[in-house]
Amino acid sequence: MMQWIQLGYLLPLIIVGSGAILLMLLSPLERLSMERFSLFTFLILLLALGADFYHFGELFTSFPMQEIFSKMLIVDSYSVYFDALILSGALVTSLIGTHYFQIKRHFKKEFFSLFLFSVFGMMLLVHANELLTAFIALEIASLALYVMIGFQKIHDKRVEASYQYLVLGSISGAFFLLGTAFIYAGLGTTILGDIGKALDLLMGKDVSLIIIGATFILVTFLFKISAFPFQNWTIDVYDGSPLPVTAFMAATFKVAIFGFVLRLMLIDLDPIRDIWDTLFIVIILATLLYGTFLAIIQESLKRMLAASSIVHTGYLLIAFVSIGYAGESASSSIIYYLIAYFLSAMGAFGLISYIAADEHIRVTYEDFRGFAHVHPYMAAMLSIFMLSLAGIPSTIGFVGKFYIFTGAIEAGYTFLAVCGIIATFISIYYYFKLIALMYFYPACESEWDDVPSLRGITPITIGVIAIAVIWGGIGNTFIAYFPGVDFLIDTARLSYMSLFIK
Amino acid sequence: MSIGILSIIIFLPMVAAFILMVTPLPSRATRNVAFGVSLAIFALALYIYTHFELSGLIQFKEFYPWIKSYGISYSLGIDGFSLIILMLIATLIPSAYLLLWKNERSKSYWISMLFIQSGISGTLFSLDLFLFYFFWEAMLLPVFMIIGLFGSGNRVFSTLKITIYTIMGSLFMFVSILYLGVAHYYEFGMWSFALSDLVNITTIAREQKILLFFGFMLAFAIKIPLFPFHSWLLQTYSNSPTGGVFLLSSIMAKLGVYALVRFMIPLFPDLFVEFSFYFVALGIFGLVYFGIAAISQMNIKKMFAYSSASHLGFITAGVFALNLQGMMGSAFLIVAHAIATGGLFLLVGVMERHLGIRSLSALGGIAERAPWFTLFFAIMLFCTVGIPGTNGFVAELLIVLGIFHYNPYLGVLSALTVLVAASYMFWVFQKAILVKSDNNVSNMKDLSLHEILGLLPLAVLIIAMGVYPDFFLYKIEPSLQHYLIDILHVGVK
Repeated sequence: MMQWIQLGYLLPLIIVGSGAILLMLLSPLERLSMERFSLFTFLILLLALGADFYHFGELFTSFPMQEIFSKMLIVDSYSVYFDALILSGALVTSLIGTHYFQIKRHFKKEFFSLFLFSVFGMMLLVHANELLTAFIALEIASLALYVMIGFQKIHDKRVEASYQYLVLGSISGAFFLLGTAFIYAGLGTTILGDIGKALDLLMGKDVSLIIIGATFILVTFLFKISAFPFQNWTIDVYDGSPLPVTAFMAATFKVAIFGFVLRLMLIDLDPIRDIWDTLFIVIILATLLYGTFLAIIQESLKRMLAASSIVHTGYLLIAFVSIGYAGESASSSIIYYLIAYFLSAMGAFGLISYIAADEHIRVTYEDFRGFAHVHPYMAAMLSIFMLSLAGIPSTIGFVGKFYIFTGAIEAGYTFLAVCGIIATFISIYYYFKLIALMYFYPACESEWDDVPSLRGITPITIGVIAIAVIWGGIGNTFIAYFPGVDFLIDTARLSYMSLFIK
Repeated sequence: MSIGILSIIIFLPMVAAFILMVTPLPSRATRNVAFGVSLAIFALALYIYTHFELSGLIQFKEFYPWIKSYGISYSLGIDGFSLIILMLIATLIPSAYLLLWKNERSKSYWISMLFIQSGISGTLFSLDLFLFYFFWEAMLLPVFMIIGLFGSGNRVFSTLKITIYTIMGSLFMFVSILYLGVAHYYEFGMWSFALSDLVNITTIAREQKILLFFGFMLAFAIKIPLFPFHSWLLQTYSNSPTGGVFLLSSIMAKLGVYALVRFMIPLFPDLFVEFSFYFVALGIFGLVYFGIAAISQMNIKKMFAYSSASHLGFITAGVFALNLQGMMGSAFLIVAHAIATGGLFLLVGVMERHLGIRSLSALGGIAERAPWFTLFFAIMLFCTVGIPGTNGFVAELLIVLGIFHYNPYLGVLSALTVLVAASYMFWVFQKAILVKSDNNVSNMKDLSLHEILGLLPLAVLIIAMGVYPDFFLYKIEPSLQHYLIDILHVGVK
């Protein structure tokens, strides 16, 4: 009986996993249409999210089915929180993608099965309490993504992106495996928690083997979040992927990666974390600089968003180095910023994917000249997302940056905060350029005939995201019991606290 | 939860703007609503003015927690210095609406104006630095829209330029605000961004304090604009529509000065005293530099842009003079300059609409065709130059006196530089308005009734404040004394 209750903790994971298998089995059936599959996916994700919310806001840590899984899997407030983020991300992706998949007829039903497998892998990653489990989870998530990127076989750009990501991603995965081997060789365990304890015992002795191993793992981490010097794949892969997949990678995958690495860094590598500080400062500066440079020179909107995601990685890394000195506020600021970035990027990518029609693919800045005069509401929403990405007050992006920079100053990294600020005000240029183009030029009416009007589930979702972006910037207890900024911070803190219950 | 009068002043225009945005009203109705809102705010401001007690304390306070975990609150209040700017906004904006009455036909123009008014009031009332920054930045977005949508020339470039420029300044202020917040957290164990809490911080080392001081100063100097942070000025002013220039020059630049007094003096009293000499000198340098730059401009809009910046240098010098005369003079000049420069820009807007030309060499003999126009132009001009009988005179006299007290040499210099303004202003008046030339100005029409009604209160204020200044000074004096005696520990001379 006890076991079944413990299994309940894993229910969201189980629902998504079995849903993925179910969809795979159903996919050859002719009778079920794409729309049905899209709906199934949505329902499965919704169910999982419901199961996840059952434990949301509780402070707990548990190892379900310890006899079977040993301590491979962990369920705590932290993982529940990240599950909620990943599942919402997937949910939003599926809603935004509805329209896209309808007009792009080359998508097959298997796509949704792969999508769920990828979500499953990401969730498993934040539940992983052991390095090999984490590796497997990472590979499940990545493998599904490789295929999702290259689904449109006739399009060379897609296939190229898929291969590039596959090859580079596999190499970075190999680093993870090698790092795990080194850590096992040095400490005799790969279980999180035990690594930390074993490392504590070794203090004062030679720990270079563990340092090398952990550095290899960090390489994988830096690769996946596209930090310098592992950022080169980002623009091509993001550009080559179908838009909803890009949004999914940019926003949700980053959440999952941070979910795992924060756990590893905060608890297990705590004793030796300081040695990377200088390295990280260099990486942050290079990431901010290079990402900003790339973002400025882009002509295509999609590529600009991809490049700017590198800059946002830089901001996140600022908070990441701060956790050594201001653990609580820095880690909750990472979590908050992930939500902020996730909402803004999801909205921007989603809206562009909605606008991008079949015949005329609009992706460059110039394509948006005068857009506001033809489609005022869509332009307004796109502007909101740009303002949030730029971190202008009254959007969630501003509050996110506020936390990151306060955390950095609290940790004594005022210099990094200033660098982040400089990157921010350069970013005004490439975000505001779009707003300026949309509003300040007359439109040629005929060009926009094929843009779908605001109807259906996709625009509603994007509209809700736009409201959430504003609410996250000003929201508060003005409306009783409705979650505002405070709520997000408090739950982020709670999930941080659960990491230290053992 | 009750809503205070200050919140109503902030949010009434914003709510109106949102409603107008989603309702399909024609632009004329939009304009009428916007005008009605500005009149309502004028009434509320009058209520505040009459109920304002003669003390240096913050009044009409409102306080609600906003982001509790970081001690950020929605807290509002005004003192004498904010009061005078509030009255200024409340009077100027309806006047500007009357002048723009006929020629601005677009709905989004009026909506942007409403948003700007909200942002300005919010900046003016904030007592929490986070909230202040919030409004300070939010104020910029509608300006961005109004220049980009309705400007002329290379408007997109100038919008991007002013946006990046001012955001650069404010982001450094943002870091400084965060630094103060963190310092408060380390010293007192709790987060707060309220001005009244942050002034208690004692742990910041001198070197850090200087950096923070200049972090704030950069934001304000760009907004004012103080030499050498003015490079956005010329292009923005000449490419902006009339309403945009009006707001930038007569209101938003003043908010830079306001914030300087309101936040810099309590936060860094010792540094304020220590660096005051440089800023007085910089202010006077700006006065001369922009004055000379104005003389060499043939474009009348650019000329007024420089003359406006020149006077702002004067205002800054007065603020840093560390005595009551200087500060009172600055407060007075803020009002005088806002009215006169605002009025001049509005009149230039009228001229631009009728004639479509802005170069001095293409003008002449307007007086004959447009006597009302000439009359108002003359009054505004006299005020700018500081002819006795106008409030410009009182203000400049007080500032020069203040600077004399501070440093006699600088005082002499500042007194002499007033001549610079006089020379080019009269030259403009003679060349463009009075003397007949071969240029064709037959398209110039005289002011309409709306425009006369809009300018009349401004002209009356200029004369009234010039003839009987005490009536306007007594409300702000206690607040300014409070800054000088309680905070800077500088006696009133």
